Amino acid sequence: MTSIFIAIAVLSLLALVFGVILGFASKKFKVEGNPVIDQVEALLPQTQCGQCGYPGCRPYAEAIANGDHINKCPPGGTATMEKIAELMGVDEEPLNAEAQSAVKKVAYIREDECIGCTKCIQACPVDAILGAGKLMHTVIAKDCTGCDLCVEPCPVDCIDMNPVETTIQNWDWKLNTIPVKVIHSEQEEQAC
Amino acid sequence: MLTLLEQLDKGFLWQSPGGIHPPQLKTLSNQSAISRLPLAKRFIVPVPLVGEQAILTVSVGDKVLKGQALTEGSGFTYLPVHAPTSGHIIAIEQHASNHASALPILSCVIEADGLDTWCELTSNSLEQLSKTEILSKIKQAGIAGMGGAAFPSHVKLNPASEIDLVIINGIECEPYITSDDRLMRDHSDEILAGVGIIHHLLNPQRIIIAIEDNKPEAAKNMQAAIERSSLPKGQIRVTVIPTKYPSGGEKQLIQIITGKEVPSGAIPAQLGIVVHNVGTAYAIQDAIYHGKPLVERVVTLTGENIAKPGNYWLPLGTTVADALQAVDFKPSTQQKVIVGGPMMGYALADLDVPILKGTNCLLVPSPEEIAPDTTEKACIRCGECAVACPALLLPQQLFWHAKAQEYDKAASFNLKDCIECGCCSYVCPSDIPLVEYYRVAKSALKTAAEEKHQAEQAKIRFEARLQRLEDEKNAREAKAKEAAAKRQANMKSSDKDAVAAAMARIAAKKAQAESNTSVSEAPTVTTQTAIDPKKAAVNAAIERAKAKKAAQADTSNVKAADHTDALLDNINADDVKTDDKQAKVAAAIARAKAKKAAQANDVISSQTDAITGSEHNKDQVTPPDDKQARVAAAVARAKAKKLAQAAASSSATDPIATPDANVPTESTDATDASADHSTEPLTPSNTIEPQTADSSVSDKQARVAAAVAKAKAKKLAQVAAGTSATDPIATPDANVPTESTDATDATDASADHSTEPLTPSNTIEPQTADSSVSDKQARVAAAVAKAKAKKLAQVAEDNQDQSLENQHNEQHNEQHTEMSTALSPEQAKKAKVAAAVAKAKAKKLAKSAEQEEQ
Amino acid sequence: MAFKIASSPHVSTSLHTNTVMKRVALCLIPGLVVQSYYFGFGTLIQLLLAVSTAYLAEAAVMKLRNKNIKATLSDNSALVTAVLLAVAIPPLAPWWLIVIGTLFAIVIVKQLYGGLGNNVFNPAMAAYVLLLISFPVQMTSWIAPQTIALNHADILSSLFSIFEFRHSFLAEHFQLSIDGTTMATPLDTLKTDLSMGLTTTESMTKPIFSGMAAEGWFWVNMAYLIGGAIMLKLKVIRWHISIAILASLFVCASFGYLISPDTFVSPLMHLFSGGTMLAAFFIATDPVTAATSPRGRLIFGAMIGVLIYVIRTFGGYPDAVAFAVLLANMCAPFIDYYVRPRSYGHRTGN
Repeated sequence: MTSIFIAIAVLSLLALVFGVILGFASKKFKVEGNPVIDQVEALLPQTQCGQCGYPGCRPYAEAIANGDHINKCPPGGTATMEKIAELMGVDEEPLNAEAQSAVKKVAYIREDECIGCTKCIQACPVDAILGAGKLMHTVIAKDCTGCDLCVEPCPVDCIDMNPVETTIQNWDWKLNTIPVKVIHSEQEEQAC
Repeated sequence: MLTLLEQLDKGFLWQSPGGIHPPQLKTLSNQSAISRLPLAKRFIVPVPLVGEQAILTVSVGDKVLKGQALTEGSGFTYLPVHAPTSGHIIAIEQHASNHASALPILSCVIEADGLDTWCELTSNSLEQLSKTEILSKIKQAGIAGMGGAAFPSHVKLNPASEIDLVIINGIECEPYITSDDRLMRDHSDEILAGVGIIHHLLNPQRIIIAIEDNKPEAAKNMQAAIERSSLPKGQIRVTVIPTKYPSGGEKQLIQIITGKEVPSGAIPAQLGIVVHNVGTAYAIQDAIYHGKPLVERVVTLTGENIAKPGNYWLPLGTTVADALQAVDFKPSTQQKVIVGGPMMGYALADLDVPILKGTNCLLVPSPEEIAPDTTEKACIRCGECAVACPALLLPQQLFWHAKAQEYDKAASFNLKDCIECGCCSYVCPSDIPLVEYYRVAKSALKTAAEEKHQAEQAKIRFEARLQRLEDEKNAREAKAKEAAAKRQANMKSSDKDAVAAAMARIAAKKAQAESNTSVSEAPTVTTQTAIDPKKAAVNAAIERAKAKKAAQADTSNVKAADHTDALLDNINADDVKTDDKQAKVAAAIARAKAKKAAQANDVISSQTDAITGSEHNKDQVTPPDDKQARVAAAVARAKAKKLAQAAASSSATDPIATPDANVPTESTDATDASADHSTEPLTPSNTIEPQTADSSVSDKQARVAAAVAKAKAKKLAQVAAGTSATDPIATPDANVPTESTDATDATDASADHSTEPLTPSNTIEPQTADSSVSDKQARVAAAVAKAKAKKLAQVAEDNQDQSLENQHNEQHNEQHTEMSTALSPEQAKKAKVAAAVAKAKAKKLAKSAEQEEQ
Repeated sequence: MAFKIASSPHVSTSLHTNTVMKRVALCLIPGLVVQSYYFGFGTLIQLLLAVSTAYLAEAAVMKLRNKNIKATLSDNSALVTAVLLAVAIPPLAPWWLIVIGTLFAIVIVKQLYGGLGNNVFNPAMAAYVLLLISFPVQMTSWIAPQTIALNHADILSSLFSIFEFRHSFLAEHFQLSIDGTTMATPLDTLKTDLSMGLTTTESMTKPIFSGMAAEGWFWVNMAYLIGGAIMLKLKVIRWHISIAILASLFVCASFGYLISPDTFVSPLMHLFSGGTMLAAFFIATDPVTAATSPRGRLIFGAMIGVLIYVIRTFGGYPDAVAFAVLLANMCAPFIDYYVRPRSYGHRTGN
């Protein structure tokens, strides 16, 4: 009989002790916010383009954290999707139909066609278009995220999305892509 | 324990890790003194900073003198670019760069006049100049590090911290290269003079001229020059270090001389050490004592495929091809032309690239001299690369991660500390091009870092924007509240006013709505003057919204009713409260009409004669409206695109939007004409076709129509050239299709439109569109139309043979004017009747015209 | 003609993988000669068998993997694996033993892991262990060194023995003579004797030992040492692993020997018997499966040395080279991960 009591007492005591430990741990190691959202957001390209159907990258990050599909980010491309898949521990999914290749683009306004309607300025999520009403607009190329959002509102269709040009500064050292000029050598001539 | 200075004075050396001993092969080129080559004809001077930190001071065709600055700019790291010889600038263009990528950069191409005339040079002595002046002179001379990296020298000579030790780098550890060796042998006193200037500027405790032990003559000459110079004796010395590649690297040299390591990510100046190349010292001396900017340098031209290897003074901008040709370059198959040494140099893809400030060597080896083309084999983890690495990295790990494209892991193995010296590739038994992998990985990491930075920036900007929008919204609401409060406060006193205003608004609305459908100029003008333009804009906006709604509305029921009238009635009565059904029907009919119109156009295309007249009229319209027309054309294009998209998604065409199409369409033709040939005439029939395209649903039709229109325009142009006389009958004839298209518009503007070329009343038509297009566009279009009308009016007046038709039209017009002036909902029916009459008349006219023509 | 573009550097050493492997194989020759002198032609027959099997197996796998057969065979890595396995197994072991071992080494241990450069374990040693575990009898039956053997194992008898012509009259004749010559290896003998309560000194008086070391084995090891020295001189291998193995084994053995000379084998015996030298210079130095940094290699080598001693002294197998090497192979990635050299301009390795 006593052994039963002892068992109950011991178990109760243990439960108490562990309860205290757990309570303490939950206080001590409490995580503010949802770190997953921040991690997902860090992976997203921050173009704020809204092509995922959410108003900006953070809302989409929240949606992913809540179980939305991870394949809705065309600017990030497959690479971003793979990273999110790895982070979230879900299977990789092919990108949505409209997802283009992840070639980085930058908007360009054909300035002699611009009528100064400011519609693109309103559309730009990162305020990267400069201009005023009835005056020509231009894109601040370094701040442009290539999100495509300014193309649609333009009434005169004067915005192009150009791929970012390769310059000496951002060249990727892939030597086999260099076109080689062909000249004739004397030895070849002799051989001929 | 000796202090560092004492150790330096004793010539104590430290060991630098890694390194290799490749065959030196320097005797190939260092046997003779530095000489000159005949001046080339053409020079290419890259001006990469233009557009960023600098502007060009010359333009194509300018004459330049040797040493004349080509750019002007500011910024700490800005360096001017100078003309290497006298001559003319024959081009400023994108030209292949002397860079591993061979990507084009902006360059000035100078054609030498052969005189090589210097611009005005001012020589100074050190005493005349302050330190700032000296630095400025060095900057203005465009002096950059001559060892290869080409970093602006004035920056290194103006450090933030105290400099204790200056190392003059005469190591030249790369095989083959002997330019510094020869410079030290031939110009030791000048180098010492340059060192004197550096000493004057930095006032270090010690200056060490470091030379590898494979250049004993250079060391001897420099030692002799020190003894001749006036520099304080105890402070400067030549230190000979053992030959090992890459001792000449800045970090490695500092380690060998002082035993210190430059911390990762830091610069030597933080250790109180500055390293300058001997060539830089020479250039500094030239700039200060002779006033000469840096326009030439010593280049080693070597390799077994050069008949006369050696060191040559080459003006910067000389092309590699010219330089090599001058020394009898004989290319072999699969020739490599290497800029720099065999260890770190890059192979050129194009020889038409200029010599730069950092180009110390052109190596054209025979195939036997250099590594044969080998395929990469598996890494056997032998670790030889790690032994050879002077930066103490683990190349095999870096390779492993770089190959797997795990660049972040590669970065964790300190990839950024790799100096790309090539020792690892040199020793690799598996022929793995390790350095190439690292470069790709490094550039990928750089891109990733930039993208990350951009993303952060974008996030900040996005949040700032959201904040701004929120603030604006709040401000607006506050303002509205304030205004409402004020209004309430003032309500009693201005009760009547408010009521009156409301009434006025209602009236204006009505008037506006009517003006949409009205045909004559008078009422429109009246309404426009009567109502507040702001309200008009509001109305327009409302209508736009409604039009959109109508377009989106589900249209399932098709009823063959008298849609045009119904719709018209509707618009008049309910201020454009579009019935879904009607809209749908209207769209369907519009489509059908558009098709018909297209067919009609085809018929017309044969009647070139008839069209000539109107074409003539239009012809005159086109040129003055060029710009506006272009804008309008752009609008039209955009709209056409959108329409096409809409057509693809929904079968219902916006009935109210259709009239809009009028405006842009016309202008499209204007553009088409002006774009193809500025003289290409515009014809009414032409005008209609794109319209047809707009209103037609399938873009295929549109395309066909456009093609037809183009063909017609061309034909017309030919005819126009041939005939100068105006055909009186032609005008109405040409207008036949116009009518049918106007019917598409579902307004009775049609009849009026048929008179378009002859009467000024067609000004109204774009105004009709005003309500549904954004007002700015409308204004542009209106302006176009107005100008056109004016011209047409003039033409009409001049035209003698327009009597009959004109009269008809005028009559018709009058009728219309009457009807539309009496703009009330009750009279809408009458207007409709009138429209029908007008239509019939127009048709008749067309027919008669046709008959007459035949 | 086109200008050729390649990444710098444009020059390189002439020491390529195939040369390295060839030199390793050539440096095995002194040991091979001495071993053949003491143990007959069996080793050479095994060598031929192993090399041909290795090349055939590698070619077959390359064919299956759609890779360039010639390029792979010419890197000589299969040759080295085959030679190492051939010298490691008993000279008169049956032919299928070496064939199975070589096939296992090439196909499974090396190629299934991705080929040269990707294998985790030393192929020769992995195969040796496989054979040792699966066929312990055949793998421990060494013949006596010919200097003390009753019968001389000539080519013919070796051939008959290896190819197991037991049923022919001739074969029986030779078999008898061969059977008389097989015996345990010196280390095995020592181990058995020690477990039977004999002291090492007593055991060492047996004819299989001569002086301080085992008869024959001393000179075989000596020959491998010479081969290793040549490799060091040619910079085919770096010294770290070999010296670390020998030093740690010597230290351990000395320690034990000083405590109890009767129950622990002398350091010299450890260094110059069994496969110590072969392992130290030819097996453990296989770069693919070893640690890469100098410090890592010292640790790697020391680990092998200690493991050899521990297994020889306290384990169930008389010679422990293969096990020690495989265990160290397993640890090599960890060693590499934790022993990173301090890069230039950095305060610590990480």
